[in-house]
Amino acid sequence: MSVSRPCLGYGLGLRSHYHQEILEQSPTVDWFEIVSENYLVQGGKALYYLDAIAERYPLVMHGVSLSIGGPHALDGEYLKQLKQLAGRVNPAWISDHLCWSRGNAHQLHDLLPLPYTEESLYYVAARVRQVQDVLQQPLVLENVSSYVRAAADEFSEWEFLEALSRLSDCELLLDVNNVYVSARNHGFDPWTFIHGLPAHKIRQLHLAGHADYGDYVIDTHDHPVCDPVWALYQRTLEHLGPVATLLERDDHYPPLAELVDELDKARELGGIALARRSLCA
Amino acid sequence: MRLNDWQLAFEDYLLGEGAAADAALGASLIGGPSLDVETGLAIYHNAYRARLQETLRSDFPTVRHWLGDDEFEALTAAYLRECPSSHYSLRWLGAGFEAFVLRHLVPDQGAPLAELIRLEWAFTLAFDALPGEPLTLEAMAGLPAEAWPTLRLERLPSVQWLDGRFNSLAMWRAVKAETAFPDCLELEQPQVCLVWRAGLVCQYRSLEPAEAYALSGMLHDGLSFAELCAELAGSLGEGAPLQAVSWLKQWVNDGLVCQCRTL
Repeated sequence: MSVSRPCLGYGLGLRSHYHQEILEQSPTVDWFEIVSENYLVQGGKALYYLDAIAERYPLVMHGVSLSIGGPHALDGEYLKQLKQLAGRVNPAWISDHLCWSRGNAHQLHDLLPLPYTEESLYYVAARVRQVQDVLQQPLVLENVSSYVRAAADEFSEWEFLEALSRLSDCELLLDVNNVYVSARNHGFDPWTFIHGLPAHKIRQLHLAGHADYGDYVIDTHDHPVCDPVWALYQRTLEHLGPVATLLERDDHYPPLAELVDELDKARELGGIALARRSLCA
Repeated sequence: MRLNDWQLAFEDYLLGEGAAADAALGASLIGGPSLDVETGLAIYHNAYRARLQETLRSDFPTVRHWLGDDEFEALTAAYLRECPSSHYSLRWLGAGFEAFVLRHLVPDQGAPLAELIRLEWAFTLAFDALPGEPLTLEAMAGLPAEAWPTLRLERLPSVQWLDGRFNSLAMWRAVKAETAFPDCLELEQPQVCLVWRAGLVCQYRSLEPAEAYALSGMLHDGLSFAELCAELAGSLGEGAPLQAVSWLKQWVNDGLVCQCRTL
């Protein structure tokens, strides 16, 4: 199964901080990505704004709690709620992360890396198929930032993603910033990662900022996108062609206009990269 | 290590107190050119605590103000040790905080703090509760005369009923308004406070004892309007129906009640 294009264009992560301004200003944003869990509630402001924004913009659902690689059974109630929310907002697609966020006993509320082994591969692939059976659509999985990796790894992360998408028919959300962060932390070439992914499976891209501590980098989503990530993004689009691009910000929220300006920068740099791609074709 | 064993070791490490991992977990991991395994693991260890503590700080700003940052952090750390998160959404992380405080502090300390926790948690519950179908003045005006005596009410899903013994509401107001924070005081008589959401906005209101008695009669004891009037006649005499109608209008205006469908 390959991802059908055209893409959604250039979107922003929807955060409650901006709900009212979005309705008042109708900013030039092609689409919004919601954090699904923020809207798995019964009533109140979140759902009011969600419904109003869904009337004006295409939406994508992006979860953080699926824990597709976790040691527990998949949470049927969570999947049911996710499906109900999808019925409400009609998302263009539903994504989460290639990670585990729940342990044997407790919720860990983080996007924890998996060992990239054959055991993990078959375990996760079976669970992806289970989720897809419930949601009745391909699951889109994102590569996470990481700060340790397993000594037992039998695959690189990109080899694992490729194999997983092949075995389970899931699609991929390529977070360019996460590739950069993990590449800095683990010392691999970020382009080798991106080039190693199956291009036809990449449904969406993420862009975000991070905190650079010199010796290592933490994925904080509290800064603008940095120049090396912009460069990697352009090279990615030149390689892939048009792919839906999403800018995330989760802390130190700037005025909405500033975020829209940053998205316009993505639009401009993306346009240049796609023009270069056309010229070379 | 098998995947499941490795994840168990990782989970134990995250939930444990120390930022140093045991030897087996450490040996199962690889660092990077300038990020060693200890530092990499500590990033996860710190992030777990920081994320959960931030959620509780945001849900209980008045409790935090009262205790101060250090004591709040110590109390919430103890809470998180005993009650690690069990819901996929951090929205529910504070659900057991009140009960934890009641279990762990001596009653003199625990009771006022638990009451303040309950008040702040009530706002989080009201914030995203089901809207329900509020009874409206228009609907009441359309009630046939014969329906009034048997009218019964239920509270809307967002309505939180709080029996207060302390000046928790004054503390909450002081933090909200950024005015001088009062000392904790036991009230001369207990007071009912309601927290609810009208439309999209959370509201609160203290009830005088007589109104609280009447509302409790309808919501908790299932009295019909006629039964309420009869109940009030003991203290209000002939004025009972007028007072009952006046309160009823207030409850409907506030957006507190819906018509009982079960009878």
